[in-house]
Amino acid sequence: MNTAKVSLILNAHLPFVRHPEYPRFLEEDWLFESISESYLPLLRMCNRLAEDKVPYVFTISLSPSLCTMLKDPVLAERYTQYLERHIELGEKEVKRCAAEQPEFSEMATYYLEQARLNFHDFVEHYKSNILDGFKDLEERGYLELATTAATHAFLPLYKEYPSATNAQVEIGVQSFLTTFGHLPKGFWLPECGYYPGLEDVLRSHGIGWFQTASQAMLLSSDKVENGVYRPVYCHNGVAAFPRDFKGTSLVWSNESGYPTDKVYREFYRDIGYDLPMEYIGPYIHEPQVRVFTGFKYWAVTGHTDQKVPYVRSLAQRRVVDHAKNFLYMLKKRSLTLSNTLEETPFFTLAFDAELFGHWWFEGVWWLEEVIRLIAKSEDTVRLTTPSLFLEGDEKLQTVQPAFSSWGHGGYSAVWLDGANAWSYRHIHKAIERMEELAERFGDQVSLKQRFLNQAAREVLLAMASDWPFMMYNKSSSEYAHKRIIDHLSNFNVVYSNMCKNAVNTEWLVKAEKRNLIFADIDYNIFNPKH
Amino acid sequence: MILINIDSLSTTELQYIAQQEGVKSWKDLDREELIDALEEAFGEQDDENLQTIKGKINRNRYCNSLTSYRGNSHPVNGLPGTESLPDSYHDTSIHLLLRDPQWAFAYWSFSSHLLEEIVDDEGVPLGSFFLRVSQTPLGGGEESAYDITIDTDDQQWNINLPQMGASYAVDLCWRDKRGEEQSLARSNSVEVAQPYWVGKAGRLGDDLSLFCIHFSSLVTREGEIIDNAILRELAQQMSGGVL
Repeated sequence: MNTAKVSLILNAHLPFVRHPEYPRFLEEDWLFESISESYLPLLRMCNRLAEDKVPYVFTISLSPSLCTMLKDPVLAERYTQYLERHIELGEKEVKRCAAEQPEFSEMATYYLEQARLNFHDFVEHYKSNILDGFKDLEERGYLELATTAATHAFLPLYKEYPSATNAQVEIGVQSFLTTFGHLPKGFWLPECGYYPGLEDVLRSHGIGWFQTASQAMLLSSDKVENGVYRPVYCHNGVAAFPRDFKGTSLVWSNESGYPTDKVYREFYRDIGYDLPMEYIGPYIHEPQVRVFTGFKYWAVTGHTDQKVPYVRSLAQRRVVDHAKNFLYMLKKRSLTLSNTLEETPFFTLAFDAELFGHWWFEGVWWLEEVIRLIAKSEDTVRLTTPSLFLEGDEKLQTVQPAFSSWGHGGYSAVWLDGANAWSYRHIHKAIERMEELAERFGDQVSLKQRFLNQAAREVLLAMASDWPFMMYNKSSSEYAHKRIIDHLSNFNVVYSNMCKNAVNTEWLVKAEKRNLIFADIDYNIFNPKH
Repeated sequence: MILINIDSLSTTELQYIAQQEGVKSWKDLDREELIDALEEAFGEQDDENLQTIKGKINRNRYCNSLTSYRGNSHPVNGLPGTESLPDSYHDTSIHLLLRDPQWAFAYWSFSSHLLEEIVDDEGVPLGSFFLRVSQTPLGGGEESAYDITIDTDDQQWNINLPQMGASYAVDLCWRDKRGEEQSLARSNSVEVAQPYWVGKAGRLGDDLSLFCIHFSSLVTREGEIIDNAILRELAQQMSGGVL
């Protein structure tokens, strides 16, 4: 019997947000929520599966900006404080619910236990660096770790700037090497953004594979024999793994995906918004800014504000049903396809890691159940990673994938629309000027070297795909706008000073302290003649 | 992307947003009145704009807007010595970005020297600017072009790309009062490849194996096609216009 191969690829990424100049900063919660609700639960899931001797392997891409934040002592300390506040709130919630809302008592207790578990795992077990957990799982053969662009830039919009795309890829690879001690084989294309020729940049840095949007195959100018059901080689030998839209939409769809089931937990109802200010005040942001606390007691229920209380046991049963359904759909398609494909089907299931646990509360449970079910059905479906698959020396077609992304419309429209198009004039100019600086002031030492290195960091930070996405999506758009302006203004400080052959030391010291990323960066990377 | 569902918001939260929006009687309003008041606060009265209201509520909900809770006078601090970004850069250049196979985005700037040269002593332009979009078939063939008139104040434009299988470049041009034209700057070119299956929809639709491998993989369980204009067109052609 032919065995379908499944490659699960999770992209763990958050934009670089670090504001030590403020005692607490709301947007830093993005990191803390993701650690608590996705990264630590995923690590626990992986270790549970390993302890139970469940054979499994999958891929996680950890972005350089996320890795930088996960290694940062200031953010680690703040996350510890965040957990302490959650434990305190949990203790209060257990008492409040017992007295006032007993229907929520079970979940209040569960959240408190999770907060304590997170505290233990983060502080005691991982010594404030959870990257060690991923590294350990990779060394034990359970994970393939991959990298992505330095600041997760949407690369098709920088095609005309080879120095910048090269810098994004090279620093992504170097950052991975520094963090995990070896070179990565795989590269997560930010937002699945691909343009023909990008594979040449990847290959020049030793990358063997990347993932693409599903339509990169059907819209290819070549006839792709197996559609999305087999990886392909680009003409330079780098492999492209097209995302299985049909399979991932079972989870990802806003309208009909598993997370929309009525018994699952409602994401948007949170005591941070629902309880009186005098009670919740100490656990939200000053001055009285309501935010998510993670304490959520209601089920999705339906399109109504009359929600019913969340029942964890019900949701856990539904998770098992959904995992079985997912595997059933996979097997069914595999069977149908085995009659039409010349080769065994290969399914690439690519998701954002934060979907599991953070956006979809039950997501990690579901993932664990799917992995356990796959392990029990090894005759029909088997987990693998892109690198393991390629090591098998499989025969693959050589084609040219099409320009594509996984965003609305399938191309660049999300990152180049009325809300964000203004930024490219400035970012492109900064890249041109950075190239000019690297050419004019090559191989500087001491203060000028630090000054130019900081300029390179600011350009890269302005390129992050997160800022145009937030502006497009109208969420945190003013923060995103401000971040682009700040990084470009910072860059201009270096540019104007270097044109006068000067260094603004006060600015440099503060900028290095604030935007502490890519410690080993060498600004010469932007020299177009290198 | 997961969007907020207004129905999910609690009355407490709606009260909170109303308070943030400066609705004075927010404490006394019931749920329906709160939604009405918010609609009014957002200046949107009709149901068609519900999506816009949701967007605004979404923004308020997360309160990530710097000015809304850090205060207008205390935005997130910049570093010392920084200056505002200019509206434009004073060189004459034009850049082209590929948005999708039908549209590109062009932005350009003029040097201050050029802007001084093109007006008379009283500031009246001595001609006009226009964009010339050039199209060259990828397989080789004759170049064609069309023009777009622009104003001196314009700085960007969405450029229609009439056909796939071609490369495009845009010239930033000047035409003086005698009708003489000159290109001031030429953009980079962008290429739009022709997908193999475009023009072969019939074959894709008629052969079940081909359809299963290539097309049905891009459709959800509920029959929703992946969001893409070319795929929608292929689906229409395959269905004889029914879809």
